[in-house]
Amino acid sequence: MKGYLESIRDTAKRHDVQFMDVRLFEEDSTTVTVQDRKADKVSQGKSSSVGLRVLMDGAWGFASTDVVDSQALDQCLQAALEMAKASAVRVAHPGVVAEIQPTVDVVRIEVDKDPRSVSLAEKVKRVLDYEKAGLDCAQDKLCNTIVGYRDSWTRETICNTAGTLIEQETIRTTVQTAMTAVEGPVRQMAHERFSEQVGFELLDRISSKDFTEKAAKTAVSLLSARRAPSGQFPVVLHPSITGLLVHEALGHNAEADHVFNGSSIIEGKIGEQIASEHVTIMDDATIPRLNGSYRYDSEGIPSQKRIIIEKGVLKGYMHSLETAARFGVEPNGSARAMNGHCPPIVRMSNTFIAPGELGFEEMLRDIDEGVLMEGGHWGYVFCERGQFTCHAGEGWMIKNGQLGEHLRDVSFSGMTLEALMNIDAVSRDLEFLLPGMCGKSGQGMHINAGGPYVRVKEVVVGGQE
Amino acid sequence: MSDLLELAKKACEVALKHGAQFADVELASGRSISINVEKNGIHDSSEKKYAEVSVRSVIKGATGFSHSSGFSVDDVLETAKCSADAAQLAQPDPDFVTLPEPSEYQQVPGLYDEKIAQMSAGDLIQLFIREIDAAREIFPEVRVQGGVHLQVSERVLVNSLGIELEDQKTDIELYVFCIVKKGDDVGSFYDFDMARMEEDFDPQGLGAKVCQGAVGFLGSKSIKSACLPVVFGPLVTGDLFHAICASAGAEAIQRQRSYFVGKRGQRIGSKLLTLRDDAYIAKGIASGSWDDEGAVRKKVTVVEEGILVNHLHNCYTAHKAGEENTGHGNRWGGVAPTNVIPELGTYTGSEIISDTKEGIYVNMGSVSPHPVNGEISATIDFGYKIENGELAYPLRNTMLGINVFDLLSNLDAISSDYREEPGMMMPTIRVQNVKVAGAD
Repeated sequence: MKGYLESIRDTAKRHDVQFMDVRLFEEDSTTVTVQDRKADKVSQGKSSSVGLRVLMDGAWGFASTDVVDSQALDQCLQAALEMAKASAVRVAHPGVVAEIQPTVDVVRIEVDKDPRSVSLAEKVKRVLDYEKAGLDCAQDKLCNTIVGYRDSWTRETICNTAGTLIEQETIRTTVQTAMTAVEGPVRQMAHERFSEQVGFELLDRISSKDFTEKAAKTAVSLLSARRAPSGQFPVVLHPSITGLLVHEALGHNAEADHVFNGSSIIEGKIGEQIASEHVTIMDDATIPRLNGSYRYDSEGIPSQKRIIIEKGVLKGYMHSLETAARFGVEPNGSARAMNGHCPPIVRMSNTFIAPGELGFEEMLRDIDEGVLMEGGHWGYVFCERGQFTCHAGEGWMIKNGQLGEHLRDVSFSGMTLEALMNIDAVSRDLEFLLPGMCGKSGQGMHINAGGPYVRVKEVVVGGQE
Repeated sequence: MSDLLELAKKACEVALKHGAQFADVELASGRSISINVEKNGIHDSSEKKYAEVSVRSVIKGATGFSHSSGFSVDDVLETAKCSADAAQLAQPDPDFVTLPEPSEYQQVPGLYDEKIAQMSAGDLIQLFIREIDAAREIFPEVRVQGGVHLQVSERVLVNSLGIELEDQKTDIELYVFCIVKKGDDVGSFYDFDMARMEEDFDPQGLGAKVCQGAVGFLGSKSIKSACLPVVFGPLVTGDLFHAICASAGAEAIQRQRSYFVGKRGQRIGSKLLTLRDDAYIAKGIASGSWDDEGAVRKKVTVVEEGILVNHLHNCYTAHKAGEENTGHGNRWGGVAPTNVIPELGTYTGSEIISDTKEGIYVNMGSVSPHPVNGEISATIDFGYKIENGELAYPLRNTMLGINVFDLLSNLDAISSDYREEPGMMMPTIRVQNVKVAGAD
């Protein structure tokens, strides 16, 4: 396959393109879903796609196909050139790419237990075992149990006119559960999810106690939880919500494509104090095994640890080859593509707030009435206004410095710059508890996020009481 | 298309030969063109060609799926074998009876338009340039983003009981997002136009409208927390009613993980609320005469005068319930609504706002109930404070919280006018006594 890619790259050069890259993305996956004591769905998938991007006369064109042969690649190149010509009609800001040194490398996977060597029957059995453990600890209250397993092998081959030729493989294993409990008219669900770039050994490491039993107990506990309050409160965020906050409120704003196109609240603020001095935020794609890590981004740039905010001062953004050229900085390996059908765009990897020195109890001590939020579910942000929303799976009231009543799921919202300035305490913990997918421009991408417990002086809590 | 039909039938036979008791095969292919607009200019144009295979095999209710890309004969047949192998390892489910059988299908007109299929990237770019220029006439420093997406899709579906179906669809969407700034004050707004047919696609004026909307969000303020009437605009109502009908899907109800468990035949909301699912609306985005399993789609009244009267079914859930399959199955065993049509009210949306002395107007927000417990906890992404029957000022950092049953019970107005996108009818509604949380 590499030969096809190099050949089409050489053909593109003859069309006087400023830059061209071609990426082949291949994936094999297996999914097992166990629901209500039965492995009722087992799935196997195999796909390949190739995407080709050209920059010509300052205009970008992209074309992709599922068919991977020399004829299809020729057609893809012609289509991409046609697309670039079409784009050239109204280019407000001519496309550019940073100058890079070519990289030639092959990245092979290193896992203890390659899922492809594990039988499907063994996978089904292990998922059923997880479900049984969850059921055994709360059977009389659970009305629906779902446990999902997925493993995937991917190979991304990147070839560009700068001379880069990289082939990198990944293996990712994921287990997740949703447990629903019921009592009278009250019905509550709890989730747990683990996803890492490891093999089947993930299932040896994740005990049912930390997984299905925990979700089952949480769902049952939520049956007697009260509805969350409505209004403005000081909050303490569990590391899973800290991850959600840092990803949504700040992370998307620090993606340099957003900054360039005017939809970031932190545009033009490099070197300014935009958060309290307790806040240091990093995006680190180099942490072994984490869901958002990688060796090279989809443009062939080595992954890095990127400091976004240091002690409250904005230090930098996440960049692609294009945004790096536009901002006059070195690329920092932040451009990723979901598959061959999508061009690389600026993405977060593993984003977190650095830990501080306080213990958890010390975080609560000064709060007369507030809320502890836990279990990051989902969130989103309108970057241009800096207005974010985070949804927590559960919470607890804080009264006079002590944890009080258990609360049901609730969302909270805030304004990015106000919330960052209002962080007045950070614990000494550091956990990555959001191994999921982030959506942007129609592309889902593997990420993780986390941090310590964080105290925010005021956010708006969208409860009902 | 006929070659693909033959290929799908062969794949079905392979699945049966490898042990499947029932099998179905979908071959989906197509082409899309996308234009991506960045800061008042075209950033990139792209063309995608795809060919996707999915095969389902069932053995005594145990279901195996397999999917792959590309239509090479060997790969498609291997995918069919993989699905049968996967079904051998799944566990039997006695509630599964059979797949859908062939039936009479009433065609829905207006789902494919050769004029849309023939549009080029250049055509799409010209459409958007016009909107950029119009937006800049309203506010010269506006930053316009957005794009145009066009798709031409073909699909073949066959199953082992003799279903052989083919369809072709086109769709096009233009969406505009405008950002305006005055000092540190930022206003933004978003809107779109979508269609299956060129005659329904008229995005002209969207750029100016969205830019005016963004200017209208300058000077936003938060409010004091209170319990207020909330008027939901058409886009919020459209999403909310779709979510209500999705929760009437029998799959989640039979699995006991829906707030509608045990609610059929019971009052779930105001008498004003009637919702119908209708897949037969000509030119509708969600229209079609058969579902992803090949079953005939049926028109279904989901909620009638506040009573939950029907569930939406796929093949599996219908057999399990002993009811008629309504044809709402999706490819992976779930259930999903199509076009949701509400019964309209007496007053216009403007009259409902005028009739609200103090309240909130929500233009956009994630006002969707949790599918299990029905709780709604949402940020008002784009909304206004209503004072003395008028939109007084835009809101920032304001949330609302209410349970879905309280929301539907406190519904006291549905407008007579509505926003229409093909197949979608989206009115304005008002809900009393909503907890609104502000930062003031």
